Amino acid sequence: MRLLVIEDDETLRESLCNQLKNEGFGIEQAADGKEGLYFALEYPVDLAIIDLGLPEIPGLDIIREVREKGKTYPILILTARDRWQDKVDGLSAGADDYVVKPFHYEEVSARVNALLRRSGGWASSTLAAGPVVLDTSRQELKVNDEAIELTSYEYRIIEHLMIRAGEVISKSELTDRLYDQDFERDSNVIEVFIGRLRKKMDPDNQYQPIETLRGRGYRFALERNQES
Amino acid sequence: MRFFRQHATSSLSTRLLISVSVLLLFFFGATIAVLDTAFREAGEQAQEDILDGQLMALLAAAEPNIYGELEMPVDLHEVRFSNLDSGLYGELLDDSDEPVWRSRSSLGLQVPYGESPALGTHQFSRVELEDGTPLMALSLAVEWELSDGELRPYTFNVAESLDSFNAQLARFRRQLFGWFAAVALIMLFSISLLMRGVLRPLRKIEEEISDIESGKRQELSDGYPTELTGVARNMNVLVGSERARSERYRNTLDNLAHSLKTPLAAIRAVLGEQQPSDGSNRIEAQIDRMNDIVRYQLRKPATYASESIAVVAVDIDSDLHRLVDGLRKVYKEKNPDITLDVVPGTKFRGDSGDFLELAGNLLDNACKWCASRVRLVIRPLAGNGAGSGAMQMQVCDDGPGIPEDVAEQLLQRGMRLDETAPGHGIGLAVVRDIAANYGGDISIDTSEWGGASITVTVNP
Repeated sequence: MRLLVIEDDETLRESLCNQLKNEGFGIEQAADGKEGLYFALEYPVDLAIIDLGLPEIPGLDIIREVREKGKTYPILILTARDRWQDKVDGLSAGADDYVVKPFHYEEVSARVNALLRRSGGWASSTLAAGPVVLDTSRQELKVNDEAIELTSYEYRIIEHLMIRAGEVISKSELTDRLYDQDFERDSNVIEVFIGRLRKKMDPDNQYQPIETLRGRGYRFALERNQES
Repeated sequence: MRFFRQHATSSLSTRLLISVSVLLLFFFGATIAVLDTAFREAGEQAQEDILDGQLMALLAAAEPNIYGELEMPVDLHEVRFSNLDSGLYGELLDDSDEPVWRSRSSLGLQVPYGESPALGTHQFSRVELEDGTPLMALSLAVEWELSDGELRPYTFNVAESLDSFNAQLARFRRQLFGWFAAVALIMLFSISLLMRGVLRPLRKIEEEISDIESGKRQELSDGYPTELTGVARNMNVLVGSERARSERYRNTLDNLAHSLKTPLAAIRAVLGEQQPSDGSNRIEAQIDRMNDIVRYQLRKPATYASESIAVVAVDIDSDLHRLVDGLRKVYKEKNPDITLDVVPGTKFRGDSGDFLELAGNLLDNACKWCASRVRLVIRPLAGNGAGSGAMQMQVCDDGPGIPEDVAEQLLQRGMRLDETAPGHGIGLAVVRDIAANYGGDISIDTSEWGGASITVTVNP
């Protein structure tokens, strides 16, 4: 998934981007409002992290402009102004959540993941489809109420697939989610992880939760449960 | 002047009316005194002339008799000398002050004519009869040359009652006072009418200022008379600059907070990238401390005096709905059931940012801690009207609640209940400070659902 980070403080921006990259997000970054607005409107973006106090164009104006142009991807505000006036202004302008500086990276990461999950159509942190239930806050997978042990790589893949259940996810996008950019893309490591997941989740080949679309990628195929 | 200071300073028109009344009293009093004196003196002069005439008549009527003594005829030309109680009396005394003649009108009366004047002179005097009737008396001492050539001194006395003169004077005075009182009343009435018109712009300016104070109006209107345009313009400039000043003040603080926190965020981010070590934990703790200081100290003074003229009544409803919409986004996954119970027309007389800060901190805490339910109740304080700005805000949740011993600590500056929900304590401390700034307070109780119930009052 591609994130756009607009933040004028270089150290903070680079550090934040590095940590997000480590989690497997593709990153576009901008150091001022003008560049940021351009990226926000012209690039394919899944989520934007926008600082409110930006040179050239204030963050609030970028958010308004982005929403006016009909972009619906989630926006996370970074703000040093933690008066409610500013938070409320940001949220009414069209942002979806805020993180107050100085933040812990974990907080940003948790909010980003929650927003992405929500934008994938999941209302709660528990993603349920058929017998499969993924609790993203506890990072726990259950099938038919039975907990399934996962490695952190396996977890990231099933989380990514389930968040965008029904959509086709390319192999390279999954690779991005797992590793840094310089990873050897031709390796068959994704196939190996998918195979393991299938074996753990559906040993009897009964539900077939993960579908392979040859040459295109993978899809989480189970119907989402109504209540989630 | 002390009277003015104590009683009349409150109202210009009272002040003016009292001044005008005092002036009128003074001028009319002086006029009345002058007119009265003039009238009385003229009257007295006329009275003296009449008396003089009577004396001359007596003098003319006096004739020496065959014994060579001066005598008065029985019937005088003036009949009032002959009528009893006519008010006109006469007497002729010889050199031994024995009466040669006494008018019939003074029969049975002891008319005191006063001292005899020196020979050849006449003298007016005021005397009284035994029954108190005032008289004006005229005495003339003459030497009469008798037929034998002898010169004998005689004294002619006449006196006339002043009753009718006094009655005339009294009537004149009554009329004088009557007319002047009527004129004074008419003048005061018309002055107060005039003043009402003249002072109308002042009354208008007063009303508009109180509208500004209660937040119904942003600035004074145009169209004041020339003398007041300066005042109105300066007032508007003052209100504007007061607003601009607090705005600028807050922006400065916000910018300062911003420029302090971004480096803090950068330090934390860089630390987070590295392998955790003992040193980084200690730096983390210092970052937390600095952050708390910046948050608390740089936000607290942004609340400004509620009695300021620049205060505007906040539209509670639109602010609350924006806030709750925002919180619903932020807590979308928890999806708490937020109920708003706001008495319609309740006004918050103060800064919109302060109101949001109160409601935002309380609701955010409630959403953070609740199981599923949050309720906000806002009502005007009993005894005050909805427009006065005095109000009570209560936020309840169904979370774990706040134990009594912790509640007290929580209201201390920067105390935290739970490190996993950062800022809980600072939020409450900020709420407490804002409430105190608006003459109110904060109390922590248990809600009907068993969770926390925080009540804030503001009373600007």
